[in-house]
Amino acid sequence: MTDWTGILELDLENRQGRTVAKKVYFQGALKVMRPVYLNNYNFPCYYLLNPGGGYLDGDTYRMKVTLDEGAEVTLTTQSATKVYKTPSKEAYQETEFHLKKDSYLEYLPDPLIAYQDARYFQKNTVYMEKGATLLYSDILTPGWSPEGKQFSYDQLRLINEIYMDNELIAFDHINLNPGAQEIGGLGFMEGYTHLGSLIVIGEKTDSALLDLLYETINEETADIKAGLSELYVPGFTIRLLANSTQVIERVFTACHHAISNQWYQMKPSFLRKY
Amino acid sequence: MIDRALALFQLCDSNFPTGSFSHSFGMETYIQENLIFDKESFSKWLKVYLHEQLVYSDGLASKLAYEALVEDELDKVWELDRLLTVQNLARESRVGTQRMGEQMITIVEALYKIPITSQYRQRIKEKRSFGHSALAFTIVGHYLQVDKEMTIRYYLYSTIAALVQNAVRAIPLGQTTGQQIIHEFQQELSVATANVMKLDSIDFGIVSPGLELAQMQHERVNIRIFMS
Repeated sequence: MTDWTGILELDLENRQGRTVAKKVYFQGALKVMRPVYLNNYNFPCYYLLNPGGGYLDGDTYRMKVTLDEGAEVTLTTQSATKVYKTPSKEAYQETEFHLKKDSYLEYLPDPLIAYQDARYFQKNTVYMEKGATLLYSDILTPGWSPEGKQFSYDQLRLINEIYMDNELIAFDHINLNPGAQEIGGLGFMEGYTHLGSLIVIGEKTDSALLDLLYETINEETADIKAGLSELYVPGFTIRLLANSTQVIERVFTACHHAISNQWYQMKPSFLRKY
Repeated sequence: MIDRALALFQLCDSNFPTGSFSHSFGMETYIQENLIFDKESFSKWLKVYLHEQLVYSDGLASKLAYEALVEDELDKVWELDRLLTVQNLARESRVGTQRMGEQMITIVEALYKIPITSQYRQRIKEKRSFGHSALAFTIVGHYLQVDKEMTIRYYLYSTIAALVQNAVRAIPLGQTTGQQIIHEFQQELSVATANVMKLDSIDFGIVSPGLELAQMQHERVNIRIFMS
């Protein structure tokens, strides 16, 4: 594909202990704002945005983020990703992350809202070197329709592929087709409306952290259903079923705090959105 | 002259010692939550497990592996072995399929001298592969010249029959009820196999959220008779 609706490239390096951009490039309907060094930390937070306000029929987006050795970054979006109806061709987004040794990426986009009759395909591929750390979350909402009907979108397909030293170490494929599936039923959303996923890969993962995360999740008082399991390399996935974006954000923020505290004795920054 | 389909059928016997009697793949979580408690509730789960997880993982892998074996592209088989393992994000289910796979490869090697199985076993020993029953089964099906569709159908049957036996013990259900479920599932297996035949590699590894969540939650289920 050559005619992308939006392209974004971000290369970061660690310059004497401070992470700075080596290259920032964007074109079309993808944009990144000036970096913010929250809490005076020595690594930036970048807000990604879609100036068009949402993904339209047949849109294609491509992002590529490269972190050199020891570089650290927080990436988030400025607001929810909205996918409008796609009468002829699905909206597509692919993202590639390259994480060199000892780099740290946290990618915490806002929730995905698919409108009535929308089809969306998202593919994230992470190429990491041993020693790099990844923290990724996503939230799928039941979407939006003028009548307030939930799950009125056609299809959401999300693939995450993670490679470490060029070997596939995790593969995650969610494909929701509310028209063809009993979406609320047993085995699917089980009566809940929102699905959150948190994927963490880091060498410091141990059973003490997992126990702490179980406790953290159990402290949530809202009605949720959570699963947590270790990957084949040091790291884990959390899946969370809930009834609002806020509940998932609250649980994942609490988990994020627990991880940052355990690993770096640091507090994650509050990602202010305007 | 051996009856080829009958030879493959030996691998489908729920007594075939791969250790499948130790794995519920999340069913036990639902039993503990009282969501699976009788024939109907179990059949419902089993249908979702078959049509929304198994076809996209084991079923599709079996199809792609069979095609790779026909083309003599062994690297694709080893790639599928890795994909099948790493797409299983729930640790107990992932480890369970590895153990069952290794067991099946060992027994199959004792029954048939198929060079690919020996190679598979060697790769597992060297930690270059993980082991998976769907692939071991497909290697035997291809070797016995049982056609692709029938190999997939028999493999899916073997998985479903083992889970029914486990449900009979765990819920519990009567033995006759168990046989009724297997009988009723013949139609489901036809539908599932036909679906697998239509799938392509882009469909690989689709998992429905609730099923996977239950497989993860099994790690913390209080009373357990299964390892997954």
